[in-house]
Amino acid sequence: MTDFLKGYDIQYWLESAPQGYLMETEYGHGEKEREPELVLEDPTLREQAIRTTVQLVVGERCALAASSGLINAAPDEASKRFLATQTLDEARHVEVFTHRLYDLGVKKSELESVISQFANPHLVHFAEALLEKVDQKDFIAGVVGQNVILEGMAFNVFEMMHAGNKEANPKFGHTLAGTIADERRHVGFGENRIGGLIREHPERKGDIEKLQREMSYHMLATFGDSFRNGPSPEQVGQIMREHGQEPQASEQEWQGVKLGQANPEELEAVLSDTILKEFKIRLERIGIEYQTPTAP
Amino acid sequence: MSHEPEVPRKRYELEDTGFDEVPRKYRKYYRRWGGESDELAGNEVLCPVCKVVVRSNREVREGDRIYCMACMTRLRVVRVDGRLEGHVEY
Repeated sequence: MTDFLKGYDIQYWLESAPQGYLMETEYGHGEKEREPELVLEDPTLREQAIRTTVQLVVGERCALAASSGLINAAPDEASKRFLATQTLDEARHVEVFTHRLYDLGVKKSELESVISQFANPHLVHFAEALLEKVDQKDFIAGVVGQNVILEGMAFNVFEMMHAGNKEANPKFGHTLAGTIADERRHVGFGENRIGGLIREHPERKGDIEKLQREMSYHMLATFGDSFRNGPSPEQVGQIMREHGQEPQASEQEWQGVKLGQANPEELEAVLSDTILKEFKIRLERIGIEYQTPTAP
Repeated sequence: MSHEPEVPRKRYELEDTGFDEVPRKYRKYYRRWGGESDELAGNEVLCPVCKVVVRSNREVREGDRIYCMACMTRLRVVRVDGRLEGHVEY
């Protein structure tokens, strides 16, 4: 048990993140990496990039508030220290994605109004529901909401975004790779702590299933909206031709779907399937029965 | 199952594959997973929590306990449909 909890040490975090995959990065990416010219020049692609990045900033601001708020609700020292490292991870995510908004041309004076304009209302509702549990110092509900639902679902989204960007936009792909590495620790903490706590407090199972039903609706609705708002491969091809570039069919695959050739509906379907499939398996491992989300 | 422990375990020489998400001295024990088409060697188990491949310097067998340092999960190796998998131990 001692060795297992050592994974929550600050020293372990230092050797893994700042002295590991974050070495020689600047705001999460290589010093010389830049956003592709096409994304900066074309208004449709630029707005889409801003819209996507705003959801990341909103989600990470929520995770920052939740992880810092949960430190004092944690029942043991090791969890408190882990949540302290997670707090810094989430603060870094807020910073790197905010910085991406600046790189995309958002002025510092316009940051909050751009976030308000593009923030998905479902994601905002999710954040409100989660932070209410954190304010009540409900450690189990807070960790389920943040490390199992928010991070568990976001983990698949980040992986898909990373697969789609690592060649097309190495700067953003690099930023996402570092975020995914952080998320591995966060989902691991969520599963391990909640898996253990459910065995100690089986009476909380019903509450957690109710929480999952309410919260996962907002997350799934956010992902659905994101894809419906995105340009199709045909539109992207047209934009590239207008800028004198010949579109090349990307062979990048994720879950058997060619990301550069799939339309938004196909992307939404594969992501929902994957998220739900992985999410159900994750809950099952912890000892929670998946509840189909209902619209509030 | 009953005869398995009598057969000596195959040994593996581990090399650093560029996995940099754990402290340096442990990096050779992990590698990134290449998706469904990625075939695991006899000394490798996929962590179901974070999808990183955990590697041992000897052949992995049913009943072994392994640790995924990338997500801090303890796993027990089980055989499912003839394939070895890591199951989480809380």
